[in-house]
Amino acid sequence: MKKCHITFQLNGMTTEVLVNPNQTLVRMLREDLGLTGTKYGCGEGDCGSCTVLLDGEPVNSCLVLAAQVDGHRVTTIEGVADGDNLHSLQASFIEKGAIQCGFCTPGMILSAKALLEKQPDPSELEVRTAISGNLCRCTGYQKIVEAIMSTGKSAGECSSSNEEKCQGEG
Amino acid sequence: MLLPKFDYHAPANLEEACQIMAHYGDQARLLAGGTDLLIALKKNRIYPSQVVALDRVGELKGVGIDENGLYLGARTTAAEIMEIDFGPGGEALVQAASQVGSPLIRNLATVGGNLATAMPAADMAPPLLALQASVILERYGDQREVELKDFFVCPGEQVMLPEEVMSVIYLPQLPESTGGAFEKLGVRKALERSIVSVAAVVSLAEDNRTIVDARIVLGAVAPTPMLATEAAGSMIGKKAVAKNFAAAASIAAREARPRGLRTSAVYSRLMVETLTIRALTRAFEAASK
Ligand SMILES: Cc1cc2nc3c(=O)[nH]c(=O)nc-3n(C[C@H](O)[C@H](O)[C@H](O)COP(=O)(O)OP(=O)(O)OC[C@H]3O[C@@H](n4cnc5c(N)ncnc54)[C@H](O)[C@@H]3O)c2cc1C
Ligand code: FES
Ligand code: FES
Repeated sequence: MKKCHITFQLNGMTTEVLVNPNQTLVRMLREDLGLTGTKYGCGEGDCGSCTVLLDGEPVNSCLVLAAQVDGHRVTTIEGVADGDNLHSLQASFIEKGAIQCGFCTPGMILSAKALLEKQPDPSELEVRTAISGNLCRCTGYQKIVEAIMSTGKSAGECSSSNEEKCQGEG
Repeated sequence: MLLPKFDYHAPANLEEACQIMAHYGDQARLLAGGTDLLIALKKNRIYPSQVVALDRVGELKGVGIDENGLYLGARTTAAEIMEIDFGPGGEALVQAASQVGSPLIRNLATVGGNLATAMPAADMAPPLLALQASVILERYGDQREVELKDFFVCPGEQVMLPEEVMSVIYLPQLPESTGGAFEKLGVRKALERSIVSVAAVVSLAEDNRTIVDARIVLGAVAPTPMLATEAAGSMIGKKAVAKNFAAAASIAAREARPRGLRTSAVYSRLMVETLTIRALTRAFEAASK
């Protein structure tokens, strides 16, 4: 099994790694690069805890070979905050109580980030669809949906004039 | 779950991909989005010594039009298909793509992989069959075109040779007054393989009422996605009204050949009937717009 030499952008930094061809992206991130923020659950694309952004789009990193990211851009949860400043989504998840055990949270935040970049003012349906590949066994999703919606563009209007309605729909 | 050992290739173009496949034959497996292949590898269902990734093969991406009609690259993902305007009837394919797995899966899963895996429940197969698609299969120094209706053999099997690469899928342009729709039943909304799916494509005469052409395709209720030819034929020359949709749907339910694996055969047939009515109704609405 010949090793593959790959070069890719990881959280904005050019990264070179020598990987086994049968190494999945999630294992390379966690085991070779020590980025354990990306979680490993089912290994079959069902749970979404391994979600990373590949060229800005959320994917299951348990279904991608490490060698496939050669020349591409990968964002993990470690690349979401700006130094010590949390991303607004991270702050909102904490504020709204959208984190319990936290196992699903990295994936949820990355799926939500990709959504908000395309659709800064998503409807509840759009939010629920965007996280439909990310399972959470703790929160019942309600607070996660609220946290994402309150980070969206019209979040300001929502929490001041229309809070009850937003929460009711959430 | 660990993957078995293999060597990895990332050819830069179609010719290189075909060369590698010609060299290794059935020792090699093509890798597109990996959502079927990586699972088969993890579960030790297959042991290729070579994996050939199609990521860099530009010829396999996106859509275009040439003298033979509209072509769709086999490496195009479900998420990308959701953003494409395929013209009359194409709604069926867009709707099917938007119901594959989850957003995460749709960013990986490709249309070529969906067809090549040849599962009876593959969601993009029914709309493509209803749209009369054909696929181009390339191998080193050779090429052939196979109509999709002749492509599937049995669950997990199609007519491709081990060394063949599916490059593009051709979709004939259908008349302006054509509409399509796709209906899928699962036990939950996301991350669900179809229990029953139905694609319908309907073309109307100038009066916007009379059906001049129709195709109904059933997914997950036979060893391969199947054309309900009798049901579709029963509608030609008839008015596009609820009574005729219901009559066609009950014929489709009879034509289905469910094996009663995931649900009882009786239930599958009932669902074929219900989903066929819905698909025909929505295809007609799209056609008369
Ligand atoms: C969690 C989960 C949910 C899913 N949900 C659905 C669903 O709702 N509906 C559905 O239809 N499917 C579903 N699938 C199955 C899968 O995502 C689809 O079948 C997908 O379209 C496969 O495409 P791929 O690009 O990932 O194929 P790959 O896994 O890369 O390849 C699959 C097979 O096709 C061959 N192949 C791929 N491309 C080519 C080509 N260009 N030429 C020749 N051979 C090729 C490969 O060699 C391999 O044998 C799901 C899968 C997972 C893991
Ligand atoms: S570990 Fe990748 S989806 Fe569950
Ligand atoms: S917070 Fe525990 S799984 Fe979501």
